[in-house]
Amino acid sequence: MSQDYSSRGSVSRIDASISVPVRTFIFSSLLWLLVASVLSLIVALKLQVPSFLGECPWFTYGRIETLQRNAFIYGWASNALFALNLWIMSSLARFELKSSWLPVLGGIVWNLTLTYGLIQVLLGQLNGFALLEMPKEVAPAMVVAFLFAALWPAVAFARRPTGNVFVSQWYIIGATFVFPVITVVAQLMLLWCPTLGVMQALVHSWFYQNLILLWLGGSALSAVYYFVAKESGRTISAYYLATVGFWTLFLFASWTGPATLLGGPIPVWLQSVGVVAALLMLVPTVITAVNIFGTLAPRNGIAQAWNNTTLRFVLVGAISFTLSALLNIVFSTRSLNALVRFTPFGQAQEHLAIYSFVSMVIFGAAYYILPRLTGSFWPSAKLVHLHFWSCAAGSLLFVVAGLTQGWAAHGRTDFAVSALPGLLAASLLLVGHFAFALNALGMLAADKAPSNRRSY
Amino acid sequence: MNDSHSSNNHSQRPSHEDSSDSRLVEAHSQLAKNKEEPSEGFSSLPIVIVFLFCGFGFWAGVYLTRNAGGFSANTFDLDAPRLVADSGPKVFEADLAKGEKLFIQQCAACHQANGLGVPGAFPPLAGSPWPLGNDERIIKIVLAGLAGEIEVKGAKYVGNMPNIGAGLNDAQVANIVSYVRSAWGNNAEAVTDVKVKDIRKAIGGRGQYSPKEILDAHPLETK
Repeated sequence: MSQDYSSRGSVSRIDASISVPVRTFIFSSLLWLLVASVLSLIVALKLQVPSFLGECPWFTYGRIETLQRNAFIYGWASNALFALNLWIMSSLARFELKSSWLPVLGGIVWNLTLTYGLIQVLLGQLNGFALLEMPKEVAPAMVVAFLFAALWPAVAFARRPTGNVFVSQWYIIGATFVFPVITVVAQLMLLWCPTLGVMQALVHSWFYQNLILLWLGGSALSAVYYFVAKESGRTISAYYLATVGFWTLFLFASWTGPATLLGGPIPVWLQSVGVVAALLMLVPTVITAVNIFGTLAPRNGIAQAWNNTTLRFVLVGAISFTLSALLNIVFSTRSLNALVRFTPFGQAQEHLAIYSFVSMVIFGAAYYILPRLTGSFWPSAKLVHLHFWSCAAGSLLFVVAGLTQGWAAHGRTDFAVSALPGLLAASLLLVGHFAFALNALGMLAADKAPSNRRSY
Repeated sequence: MNDSHSSNNHSQRPSHEDSSDSRLVEAHSQLAKNKEEPSEGFSSLPIVIVFLFCGFGFWAGVYLTRNAGGFSANTFDLDAPRLVADSGPKVFEADLAKGEKLFIQQCAACHQANGLGVPGAFPPLAGSPWPLGNDERIIKIVLAGLAGEIEVKGAKYVGNMPNIGAGLNDAQVANIVSYVRSAWGNNAEAVTDVKVKDIRKAIGGRGQYSPKEILDAHPLETK
């Protein structure tokens, strides 16, 4: 194997070739993360003091909450996953990116379009579909930007030197193909040529579940598999099951949409198919759990993982994935679903999936990738600890908040009191994210002129 | 077979060995080809899992045939066939449990699950004279809606209640109304689906009532 590193430090040729796009994506995702965290605090404050910033229509709950969710998912998570997917796939497929300006261009267009769309939302131009609120002209631009920014892992995969494939690569390829398909179909059927009535709800639930479970979840799972194998130095336990886990996840997750519409006016057979698909999600959930925890559990692996910054975050992410999947399975049964329908319980569950799982995995990955990309150390170990503990506590509290608010929505307790954990959680996450951003930006800033290193 | 590549337990160490990724891919490809060999600490867990998954598959088939309403595009309610089978010429009896469920789905968003409403926005139903007494008043409001300024328990509300009942069948309206009239300390007799049917027929497809119109027809009973 080639050991020829570039001139400066220990940055590999592969890392150097994708350095600029990965930095661009991580830098943008950091900015969006800070924006989303501040907005999240405002949203939590508004649940306590509804009149807070209430005079200005720009800051009404509906717009701010929409802004927060879109900035978090399209700004933070998606940008960061562009970086992760590109980096992991390039490493595994030994791919050196020749034209790194293309993904950078894609990233810039993606972020500019998102900014434009969110300003429109702020001005009151909202569509009524969660995560499709931005004006319809934003949609095509974002799909094109996505293709430029995120299709490179597929190119890397197609050009891999050997036929051997690791499970992370399947997940990245799957997630990369899911996003453009669901976005194009959902936008056509909801915004450009709207279908009638109930079909809209069905299409939207399909889009939403795919976006969360497959684009965000699939990409994050690839990072979980990669870093668990890589950082523990072990091979994945019961590895041959991983194929089944991958295919069943992509098969069943797509069908879980109608299970989120139980009791609605959609034909009952569709609801039942949704319930079955949701319960069958137990298959990929159990398989990933056997793969990940089976790898880490023996020979004191959990303790080792806990002492490793990357694995600690990834471990919390993997546990959250399993938990959120199990909650989703249990509360998709008809009788239990009737209890939690329309309550903030759904938000708690979703938070577990997109924050405690996806975001924690991204953090863990960033702690691994950035030093290798810049050839330097993290500036402050204290900030790393602050980041981990405030984010772990904050995300746990957010889940608690969803549960207490759900309880209050049943008329059992006072709503304002029940929303207090959410406020505390949002503050904790803000602190954690600033610690992370400070560390990461310090690292990116200290390492000047990355272009020098690309002259190999 | 579990230590195919060197471990690196210091994630902050800025080095990225190119070759370790290749070894990771190679090792796992070997695993995928060879499966697990019984001699090396063979675990029975995966086989148990396979059997469990077959069980799930079987259950899914059974569940679907039982709960899919014949895969008809026009079946929206799992209970529908049973209701049809039961609906003989028997006397209607209000089902308060169904009434409560419907209330939570249809009414509680404004009037709240505890029937107390939201001060200044949505009037209470608990202890309010509006749903009590003559049952025609509340049935008409549920069927056609109510818009305008009203006074409930000394507080003024400018309401705009939609015609919730128009989307429900007679028995469902009767169940909701009976529930409201008997919950939270309210104490008025239940209503029947026949009554709802008659009133629905009598008022036709009209718009929302104004407070004056409904009170002129059915004044509030003072205790």
